[in-house]
Amino acid sequence: MATVVAPVPGRSRWLVLMPYVVLALATLPILVLYVWLFYSSFFPRVEGFRPIGDLTFDNWRFLWDPASVPQMRNRPPVIPLTVNTLLFATLTSLISLLVSSMAGYAFSRLRFKGRRVFLGGVLLLHSFPSVTLLIALFVVLRTLGLYDKLVGVILVQTAFALPFGIWIMKGFFDNIPWDLEMSALVDGAGRLRTWWRIMLPLVKPGLLALGILLFVEGWNQFLLPFVFMPSGSQQTLSTLVRGILGEGRFVDYGLLTAVGLYYIAPVLVLFVLAQDQLMRIYAGGVKG
Amino acid sequence: MRVVLEQLTKKFGDVAAVRELDLEMRSGEFVALLGPSGCGKTTTLLMVAGIYRPTSGAILFGDRRVDHLHPKDRGIGMVFQSYALYPHMTVAENIGFPLELRRAIGKPERDQRVREAAGRVEIDDLLDRRPSQLSGGQQQRVALARALVKRPDILLLDEPLSNLDARLRHDMRGEIKRLQKEIGITSIFVTHDQLEALTMADRVAVMRNGRLQAYATPDELYARPRNRFVAEFIGTPPMNFFPAELGSRNGSVVARAEGIEVELTRAQLPRGEARQATMGVRPEHLSIVSPADGNVTGEVYVVEPMGREQIVDVQVGERRLRVIAPPGFTGRIGDRVGLRVAAERLHFFDPTSGERLS
Ligand SMILES: Nc1ncnc2c1ncn2[C@@H]1O[C@H](COP(=O)(O)OP(=O)(O)OP(=O)(O)O)[C@@H](O)[C@H]1O
Ligand SMILES: [Mg+2]
Repeated sequence: MATVVAPVPGRSRWLVLMPYVVLALATLPILVLYVWLFYSSFFPRVEGFRPIGDLTFDNWRFLWDPASVPQMRNRPPVIPLTVNTLLFATLTSLISLLVSSMAGYAFSRLRFKGRRVFLGGVLLLHSFPSVTLLIALFVVLRTLGLYDKLVGVILVQTAFALPFGIWIMKGFFDNIPWDLEMSALVDGAGRLRTWWRIMLPLVKPGLLALGILLFVEGWNQFLLPFVFMPSGSQQTLSTLVRGILGEGRFVDYGLLTAVGLYYIAPVLVLFVLAQDQLMRIYAGGVKG
Repeated sequence: MRVVLEQLTKKFGDVAAVRELDLEMRSGEFVALLGPSGCGKTTTLLMVAGIYRPTSGAILFGDRRVDHLHPKDRGIGMVFQSYALYPHMTVAENIGFPLELRRAIGKPERDQRVREAAGRVEIDDLLDRRPSQLSGGQQQRVALARALVKRPDILLLDEPLSNLDARLRHDMRGEIKRLQKEIGITSIFVTHDQLEALTMADRVAVMRNGRLQAYATPDELYARPRNRFVAEFIGTPPMNFFPAELGSRNGSVVARAEGIEVELTRAQLPRGEARQATMGVRPEHLSIVSPADGNVTGEVYVVEPMGREQIVDVQVGERRLRVIAPPGFTGRIGDRVGLRVAAERLHFFDPTSGERLS
């Protein structure tokens, strides 16, 4: 709410500009880094901020001619990796969305035995660092025969994403007045239809925002695919980046920047496209 | 459809929101549930709707027990206090939603009935809008149309007028009453505004702390309130009360209070041998006369002109009585006046239980 700030012309203009200046200064280093990343990928070498040599697409060869890139030789090709990553991110976010929106609804609306315990547990799980569970998960996956399979990692990632998702969705459902639901029941809808026709459309902003966040989280996930899919064919892009980085003697920075850029581009695009939706995750509510 | 509530009780934990409510509504009747905030009106309505399950007691529609039926199987339409319109649907979709859930009704018939229901409440031209683009009054009409579109047997209204401004409230009062009579649908209407209840309903159920206080026609509630709570709650400005002594004089019974002494008619005679009573008289049944002509004299405390009439507070001894005076009354603060009591309009209540004595 813009209440009346002191109507002193000179001073108030400064007050308005101040936040922008501060924010711009704070963002500058990140911005510079992105720009650097971008143009380094088109030069053979970069020293500091100064490019050496001529503009070239050599670094991007991994896309069309992976055989000629030494670091790519023992790795699966990029396109299947991309597909894997896409599958991984999409499926984890979709499954999490489905489960979170149902569980969130139940937590928000139904009074069942053990509700508080479950809610507390969800919160506790959320604050649990996933690293501590790696060994236990390894055993579980092995037993189920899901070790070294994309499906297994998708399930694990989904499980890790759920507490956050459930909590966020519960918040969105909490904001919907009871009257709407009662009204739907009186109008003749059952529980499931009420959920589908009335509740879900009203939390759509939440679903979109959560979906995007989960997708990005899946896209960026490194630890789980790295640990639980060691043998390659089902790996994801993050493990490729890490592989190139950790190739021992000398690192080809040109290649690394190109692969890195290729890797983050979809996320950047997604963020730009979905900015509005993401903002709403902290401002949920019912509005037509 | 006849509606019967039998010993209906609802507890939330230890709190009893509704206690042993007995109520019977005739088919086509318009009944108001009236009472102060928190007395259990909404809870009662939601039990009839099937949203809340009664803790004990029974609900009958016609001769059929319905208290374990799902809301969708009860044949009710309901207007919520907040209207509860679905924000993501247009007006037409909102009104059509109850029909969407019925297999037997195809799209053409649905559209037809949506238009018909919208026409009834005169919102045909708003069908493409979203609820957020409507005024409060229009939203309420949409809610009414949505409640009526599936032609329910029973219509429930929870404080439908409380979100409207005074002017619109008055208009809608008449309109809802007319609509109800036109369709002839059994309706229960919740309100905390006694004027709404008196003007709209065929019968009014007055509730307090989850209990039924009185259930009668508006005329009867006004003329013969069953207890002091009802007497105080019904009528504006509220009834004046003061303690009175009942005695006899020349073979007839007289009541004495604050220097007023009136002879009681046969109908007013208290049952039993009561000596003490709380006497009640409505402001409109007191009139201001010259000091010599009154049953009692007092001093004008304050005058509130209301246009059509004036409300005058008169100090009589320890007490202040509210009187309605015609617009021509020109008394000033401090003037001595006489008060004449319409003796046949006095009410007597038991001083402890508050029950009506006659
Ligand atoms: N879901 C609930 N859980 C616990 N207590 C409730 C619940 N609903 C209502 N109550 C309590 O029951 C009592 C009756 O509530 P109710 O909503 O029926 O009152 P009301 O007559 O409709 O009042 P108002 O005019 O303020 O709407 C209140 O004391 C209220 O606090
Ligand atoms: Mg209420």
